[in-house]
Amino acid sequence: MAILEIQGLQKTFGTGELAVNALQDINISLSAGELTALLGPSGSGKTTLLLCISLIHEPTSGTIVFDGETIYNNGWTGTDLRRLRREKIGFVFQTPNLIPFLTVRENVLFPQELIGITGKKAEERAKELLDYMEVLHRSNYLPALLSGGEQQRVAVARALANRPKLILADEPTAALDTERGMKVMALLKKIAREYQTAVITVTHDVRMIEGFDHVYHLKDGRVENTTNH
Amino acid sequence: MDLAVRDIAHHKGKFVATIIGVGLLFAVVLSMNGIYRGFIFEGLSAIKVTNPDLWVVERYRGGPFNEQSTIPDFFHYSIEAIEGVEKASPFIFYGVERMIQGKRKRFTIIGYDVFGGLGGPQKLTAGRHIRRAHYEMVAHEKLKFRLGDTIPLGLHNYTVVGLFNDGTAPDGEPLVYVSLPDAQEILYLRDNEEIRNQRERLLKTLTAPGRMIAEQVQQYMPLLEINTHMVNAHLVKLKPEANPMEVARKIEKNLYFSVYTTQQQIDLMMQGRLAMPRKQLLLFRIILLIVSVVIISLVIYTFTMEKIRSIAVMKLIGAPNRLIIRLVLEQSLLMTAGSYLVGLVIIHNTYHYFPRLVRLTPFDDTVTFFIALAGALIASVLGIVQAIKTEPALALGGN
Repeated sequence: MAILEIQGLQKTFGTGELAVNALQDINISLSAGELTALLGPSGSGKTTLLLCISLIHEPTSGTIVFDGETIYNNGWTGTDLRRLRREKIGFVFQTPNLIPFLTVRENVLFPQELIGITGKKAEERAKELLDYMEVLHRSNYLPALLSGGEQQRVAVARALANRPKLILADEPTAALDTERGMKVMALLKKIAREYQTAVITVTHDVRMIEGFDHVYHLKDGRVENTTNH
Repeated sequence: MDLAVRDIAHHKGKFVATIIGVGLLFAVVLSMNGIYRGFIFEGLSAIKVTNPDLWVVERYRGGPFNEQSTIPDFFHYSIEAIEGVEKASPFIFYGVERMIQGKRKRFTIIGYDVFGGLGGPQKLTAGRHIRRAHYEMVAHEKLKFRLGDTIPLGLHNYTVVGLFNDGTAPDGEPLVYVSLPDAQEILYLRDNEEIRNQRERLLKTLTAPGRMIAEQVQQYMPLLEINTHMVNAHLVKLKPEANPMEVARKIEKNLYFSVYTTQQQIDLMMQGRLAMPRKQLLLFRIILLIVSVVIISLVIYTFTMEKIRSIAVMKLIGAPNRLIIRLVLEQSLLMTAGSYLVGLVIIHNTYHYFPRLVRLTPFDDTVTFFIALAGALIASVLGIVQAIKTEPALALGGN
């Protein structure tokens, strides 16, 4: 069963002569534990698509069904959307974007606190994830004291902290060298398989997407071609 | 997890520097409170220390402190004859500046009837009250005179026989008590050379062609010279059963003076001589508070803008707005409370170095604290608006 079903998604910025069609007729289907890559040149609409999936940008038209619920065009408020994001979606960014004044451990505890998980249970989850990402020894460090690769692994741990059904990753290897980038992508693949979490990642680098289930090539806001494995 | 405290801990140096800076501003605000209170306290001090039942002054004058008043000194006999008056005493006061012990000193002399009259010093901290009719004085400790010092004033030397620390003139100058005749002499009496010159000038003026002859002038000359038997007010103590307003009315009607109770004297000062400076100080306090709030507002705005990306990340991962508002608000309140505390410690340890009285009161300190907290709430609005406006999408994309 598909965890995410996008049909006829369209996003237009501006109106009239100034209107820009950032996304046109996007159709994507993704099951739990599957890995999807969005490829394409700059300005092709990859990040806009991520923003529309997480409803940070409201689509102009189309349907998004996530985890059995129609999340777009059903009258949800901003509060509902924030709840959806904190409970079911994990984000990994181009740069780690860890909260600089929280330690590594606290960065992983924070998303759990947002959904009401605190105390020993949250601590154990943080420990487990940091161990999994091989950064447990850095638990009490501030992010600024970690290498770029370590920070990005902590960011992945944070994205997983709330046991999301979907991880949206926006060029997670862009700020890393090839070796560290490969390591982060390998972790994302491992997570998808072991935790049955669907992953959508935006990337420029085709070397990073080996073993992905679906690859969508975007150009000028349209899916130019799709590769399924 | 307290995000505000974590952020502050992460930026300790900056936070400490900020609260010291804003704390100094709060110290100025608190000192202005103290200066304001001290100004009023000193302004009313001589009235409150003297504290007779009634003040009798020149007709239609608001004297003796709010306005100049001059009346003959012998009228206390007439006042005492009024029904309800137990005692009346002449009272004179004026400011002087003299070189004393090598230093220029300003103080206010009060002359009173030292033999049981009203208006003398209340509690002495050292020595004794004046017992002799002449050449003794009781001085405020601020003047740093010692018991036994001889102080030259006018034509004579005065021995310091007592010290006190309660009571200043309305302009903050320390008081010095001497006997009434001494005070009149210091104020009015000139040295012999000046008296001779004055008589000579008067004689020439009056004996000019067409005026008086010299013998006539010699006869009337004493009447034309300066009258030294003048005072500023007469102080009245009433009999226990007397009605102050009734006695005041009788004195005004029969002796043609103006009469005030001590409370009326205080009101006259507050609405007269002290009114404008009070308003000035009050306005200055308000401006300082506004400046403090604006500075805190800008600091909070800067603090918020510095972590705008973190706020975007928080919003993207689903942090509710109330969490973001709490972060900004808590930092604003902590910064204000910290700054206020720094200001409070600074001013309570330095106020005694101010040249004029700085009178700090728990009431003013508390009110200022709550105004500052209210200001902090207003100050955080700018930061909160910015934080709420932040798009979660800002978290995506590169640096």
